[in-house]
Amino acid sequence: MRLRLWPRSLAWRTTLIVLAGLAVVQLAGLTIHALDRRDLIRIAEAQEAATRVMGLYRVVVLTPPEDLVARVRAMNLPPDMTVVLSDEPPGLGLVRVPVEIQRILRLSMLLVPLPQPLRPRESRILWDEQELRVVIGMRLPDGRWLSVSEHPPPPRLLHAPGFLAAFALMTAVAAMLLVWAARRLTAPVRVLAAAAERLGRDVNAAPLPETGPSEVVAAAAAFNTMAARIRRFVADRTFLISAIGHDLRTPITRLKLRAEFIDDDELRTKFLGDLQQLETMVASTLQFGKDISGSEQPTAMDLPALLRTVLDEAADAAPDQPAERLSYDGPEHLTIQARPMALKRAIANLVGNALLYGGAARVRLLPPPSGERPPLLRIEVADDGPGIPPDDMQRVFEPFHRLESSRNRETGGTGLGLPIARNILRAHGGDVTLANRPEGGLVATASLPV
Amino acid sequence: MEQMPHVMVVDDDREIRDLLARFLERHRFRVTAVRDAREARRAWPNGHYHLVVLDLMLPGESGLELARWMRSQADIPIVMLTAMGDETDRIIGLELGADDYVPKPFSPRELLARIRAVLRRTGERSAGAHEDAGRNLRFAGWTIEPTRRRLVNPDGVEVALTAGEFDLLLALAERANRVLTRDMLLDLLRGRQAGPFDRAIDVAVSRLRRKLEDDGRHAQLIKTVRGGGYVLAAAVERL
Repeated sequence: MRLRLWPRSLAWRTTLIVLAGLAVVQLAGLTIHALDRRDLIRIAEAQEAATRVMGLYRVVVLTPPEDLVARVRAMNLPPDMTVVLSDEPPGLGLVRVPVEIQRILRLSMLLVPLPQPLRPRESRILWDEQELRVVIGMRLPDGRWLSVSEHPPPPRLLHAPGFLAAFALMTAVAAMLLVWAARRLTAPVRVLAAAAERLGRDVNAAPLPETGPSEVVAAAAAFNTMAARIRRFVADRTFLISAIGHDLRTPITRLKLRAEFIDDDELRTKFLGDLQQLETMVASTLQFGKDISGSEQPTAMDLPALLRTVLDEAADAAPDQPAERLSYDGPEHLTIQARPMALKRAIANLVGNALLYGGAARVRLLPPPSGERPPLLRIEVADDGPGIPPDDMQRVFEPFHRLESSRNRETGGTGLGLPIARNILRAHGGDVTLANRPEGGLVATASLPV
Repeated sequence: MEQMPHVMVVDDDREIRDLLARFLERHRFRVTAVRDAREARRAWPNGHYHLVVLDLMLPGESGLELARWMRSQADIPIVMLTAMGDETDRIIGLELGADDYVPKPFSPRELLARIRAVLRRTGERSAGAHEDAGRNLRFAGWTIEPTRRRLVNPDGVEVALTAGEFDLLLALAERANRVLTRDMLLDLLRGRQAGPFDRAIDVAVSRLRRKLEDDGRHAQLIKTVRGGGYVLAAAVERL
């Protein structure tokens, strides 16, 4: 639940924090404004009340004393206002209203025009705490008291509708600016993450542009330096592997030539068989080194034609095997962008493994699962073999790792087929995974961008 | 008795040079073995060579330059020894008009088979064929790139072919509108094919038709000729 309230993305977190700050500042501003306004309102209301009260007083004082009671009773009063005529001043137990308000009220009452002899001889301004009413008592010239009490109107501090709309608009614009700014400022982090992801797939990915704010430039430069070091490390290793492979070519060639002069047929055949194995290992080691560097350019190519070609070549290599063990299921034509030679090697390795350890290679080309981002095609290579123990599923992708059951050289693996396939597919932006099929056998699933 | 073919072997490794010379001599070739381009030029006038086996990686003047020089001297077939799996060397070599290439470390028997195939092919070849060897062929919108061993469809999309299918298509395209019997095709392709290929030709043709989107029953491009042959019925231009 905390995760839901606290967003995961840096942009939203920044937005949220600054928005919260903005809200506090706005509230404080509103409060200051309201307090300021309250005093003004108070003065205006006091003046209004004074006028009203003096109006009443005027009516009362101009009425002949014998009619006064009836007159007061018949007065058309605004709701919530009471007028009482008594001999005693109001307000035993009532509190005095603060001096400044009294002053305002008295001043306002003085401003109402009335001949001097008719003015109240005395006045009291009190506060009824129980009823929350203001009580103003005025002594009539005949000595009686006129008490007027009313509810002060509730302070309507944020009264003006224009003000509130403008305030809301300002807040909304500020919030939008904030969202935009936060996304913009955190964009370099997303760029950096994308670059790191790309580097993981392709060591030769283009460097980050070193532009923008100084911190971003520094981060991009550091990232590019790191990428260059990784590239150099990979290049050194690749060079080492290639150099060993190249240097082995000459002695292997000599040995192959020498073997031709062995007169014992059986010995020669075995000799040549060993050399062939040695050569295969050197070849795949060289290939492993080469795929990492990814020198081939991507081009438009027909994927089903490539899959069929790999299967046809496997069939050609063993014409005496039943044809049913190889099959293709999928569309006849589908154009993708890929490195044809590398991709063919990757698929050939998967098909080769399926035939070697599983006795069959049934290839299926499937569209990307719906809703997948980014959409990846699936190439399944299924066999009828014993499968792989779950614990070994990852280890078979390590270079030169071979399962105990296949350690025997008779099966001919070099331990580089899957690592090479995975390197190639990852360099294409895809991957390869293995799984045991519930109905028996292993299925290798390669994924490729559409 | 037939005259023994004379082969020049250019390789900087003394052991390989000597062993290869002995091996070829044992298989009835006359061999002159030299270590680099300088020796090759010196030995050039001494014999009428039928074929050169040339290592591309030579000290001093490179094998490619030597090959270019030899081509300027005579229309002589060249089999190149290239670095294992090194595409660039192979492509440059084939563009230069080398007749075949064998990656090192090579199997002597395979090299022997290739040498024989090249000699057989070039025996009947007309002069000037070298100029055409590396050039792309286009028919009905499809492009064959012999040096890169690529087939590209009319939309510019690469369509993968097996080695056998590619050689078959190239053989048909180079002799477009001429009927090639199964035997002729076998003979043309045997140099590269290890196993038995006669049934395989029919299989490869049907696969090729599918990849060329050429409906098998009403094939328009690769037509079956009664009596056992195939013809590529399309105008082929060399690019």
